[in-house]
Amino acid sequence: MQRRYRTIPDLHLHESARAIAFNNPALAGKLTAMGLLPGSMVEMVRTAPFGQAYYIKADGVRMALREEEAAGVLLEG
Amino acid sequence: MNAHHTLRVALVGNPNSGKSTIFNQLTGLRQKTGNFPGVTVDIKAGNLRLPDGREVELLDLPGTYSLHPTASDERIVTAIFANPADRFYPDVAVYVADATNLEKHLLLLTQLMDLGLPVVVALNMTDTVQEMGMQLNAPALAAAINAPVVCVSGRTGDNMPLLVEEIMRTADKKSAAAPGKSFYRFRDIENQVAEAISLNLRVENPYRALLIGHHFEWLPFLTEEEKATLRAIIQTKTFVSLRAQVDETLDRYERFPPLVEKTVKKPQTAPENTTDRIDAVLTHRIWGPVLFTAVMLLVFQSIFDWSSIPMDYIETVFTDLNGWLSERLPAHWLSSLLTDGIMAGLSGVLVFVPQIALLFFLITLLEEVGYMARVVFMFDRIMRRFGMNGRSIVALISGGACAVPAIMSSRTIGNWQERLITTLVTPFISCSARLPVYAVLIALAVPSKRIAGILNLQSLTFGGMYLLGITAALASGWAMKKWLRTREASYLAIELPVYRMPHWKNVWLTVWEKVSAFVWGAGKIILLISIVLWAMASFGPGDAMNQAEVAAQTTAAAKNLDETAAADLIAAKKLEASWAGVLGKAIEPAIRPLGYDWKIGIALITSFAAREVFVGTMSTIYSIGSANDELALRQKMKAARFDDTGLPVYSLATALSLLVFYALAMQCMSTLAVVKRETGSWKWALLQFVFMSLLAYTGAWLAYIGASWWG
Repeated sequence: MQRRYRTIPDLHLHESARAIAFNNPALAGKLTAMGLLPGSMVEMVRTAPFGQAYYIKADGVRMALREEEAAGVLLEG
Repeated sequence: MNAHHTLRVALVGNPNSGKSTIFNQLTGLRQKTGNFPGVTVDIKAGNLRLPDGREVELLDLPGTYSLHPTASDERIVTAIFANPADRFYPDVAVYVADATNLEKHLLLLTQLMDLGLPVVVALNMTDTVQEMGMQLNAPALAAAINAPVVCVSGRTGDNMPLLVEEIMRTADKKSAAAPGKSFYRFRDIENQVAEAISLNLRVENPYRALLIGHHFEWLPFLTEEEKATLRAIIQTKTFVSLRAQVDETLDRYERFPPLVEKTVKKPQTAPENTTDRIDAVLTHRIWGPVLFTAVMLLVFQSIFDWSSIPMDYIETVFTDLNGWLSERLPAHWLSSLLTDGIMAGLSGVLVFVPQIALLFFLITLLEEVGYMARVVFMFDRIMRRFGMNGRSIVALISGGACAVPAIMSSRTIGNWQERLITTLVTPFISCSARLPVYAVLIALAVPSKRIAGILNLQSLTFGGMYLLGITAALASGWAMKKWLRTREASYLAIELPVYRMPHWKNVWLTVWEKVSAFVWGAGKIILLISIVLWAMASFGPGDAMNQAEVAAQTTAAAKNLDETAAADLIAAKKLEASWAGVLGKAIEPAIRPLGYDWKIGIALITSFAAREVFVGTMSTIYSIGSANDELALRQKMKAARFDDTGLPVYSLATALSLLVFYALAMQCMSTLAVVKRETGSWKWALLQFVFMSLLAYTGAWLAYIGASWWG
């Protein structure tokens, strides 16, 4: 049975988790270049006023991600 | 390198590295935004004089995180560095890194170093470093990466002379520099690919060869044969590019922590949280959009209202100057060319300057402090539906005052397609130039009666016009998104930078740059169109204009008209006999289905200069040009009859049809000129003109049919 990983949209407000992988290489290329790496601590700061985007911190660096991108970041635990 | 070659230095760095601030410190006003053919992103070029007197061409390349781009607008940097023959390939690269967050800035630096070109590292934001109580050890970093490192502050301008000296020293040393060892340790497969490419394409540097192996499909300098060769190499080696790019990035990152530890000593204090506190309000679910609305009201107020003071002043000065000139110049068509053609055109260009300056002052301020990234975050979802970007909302709202500065503000949208759609739909938003047209037509045709006790039918129509513009903008954005659909994945992954005080020099330089880009870039086109329109209204076929003048004089004498009335009549008859009049009559069959006569046809042609010209032309045609009286014009228009049928021209149906036409048509030469400048070609400007005109024609026709049938 395939295990379903938690992803960023699953995080509660102010909850943190370690990123472990990305679900597609193009996204991995984009996010790793910006400094969101496997092993980075990701914290959910808030969701966008009209939804479908997240304000997160990756190792303390503030970023905004769309729903699709956020759902492509697989988290530990 | 021969002696005649001017030294070319490029600033490279991540989007929030403070690169442009350093560029502004080094070049000041000696800079220009190059509109380089085929380059859709901004590359700024400026001049810098070295202490030994040599001139340096300094380039500010677009900010990027990696030489493996993930969006088409980031490709330009890779395309430059993969090709030493590129017109932008620098002799020395200055890498700007944010010292407060060094680890995230080492990826692109080490990639750049691996290309074997001379690099100077500018360790930026040393002022913030001190405030945070951090300590920097530049020599340690310099030794570790084998490149000169200078600590600078773009904001205070600290150590800029040192940076310039280091650039000079590095440029001189260049020829002697031995090819350094690559920072990145190639995997086997990467070695094989790089070697094969080196051999086949004569690329000396292994990392450059590897970059070509990754990105050859879109690299512009490769021939089709070379691409075929590369395709064969990639296939035989079974090289999985995307995977390898990520692996390379991760491998590099693994080796950064020791480097950072050697360079930066951080105190044991809590991390900065002012930004968190500000964002708790500014990006709040409810307060975020509310405060954004307040900020946009301020922006709107400034370009709609405050800028009208200098704008009126500019227009008055030109009117007075023209009056002064026409009194002193002989009555000759050359004098008229000067006053009604050239001076009117110049006034038409300069009148935009206050709006552009004010809008860019405010927008750059918002950009500088870091607010714009939050706007993108908040409004991405709404705008994405209509093929645009969170930033587009600022352009659309500004378009409510004037499309010209609004379109110019869409430059900062990184994604080319989103920027294009924003540019194409912004002119649909009802701008201030449409107001006088709406005012005359609504007062003419819509009865001023109250509905449900409070709502005035005329105000309701006004509101409807705005709604029509917004609907047209969003609907065409949505349609263009479907039509332009690219296979390229669209990302919203942006950094939300720490809030900072604005750097005023950046603000002033941006305002200056935008104003001069408009005056010199779009201004030429506006002046040219203005002269063409003047010629069309001033000359007629053969002797027609003279005959019309003589005939009008006779009529005036017969009717015993006073001097003003006679002059007005002559002006009307001359305009009718001019090329504009001829053309207006020629298009009458085409516009008759919309309910227009040839007089409106003339106004449609002349008001291509700007929509508000419609009112002026109508006054001239109805022989009340000198009165400048809207009420008199309305009475004349109300009394107007079609030449053949004798029916009134301005029925409710015609007025509604005209309203719809002016709401949707691109009746503005300045917008056309600015779109040409911003997109870099006539293609999009003309396509937009055709598209908007067709939509306006169809919309006006439907409005006419609907209203005639209903009323």
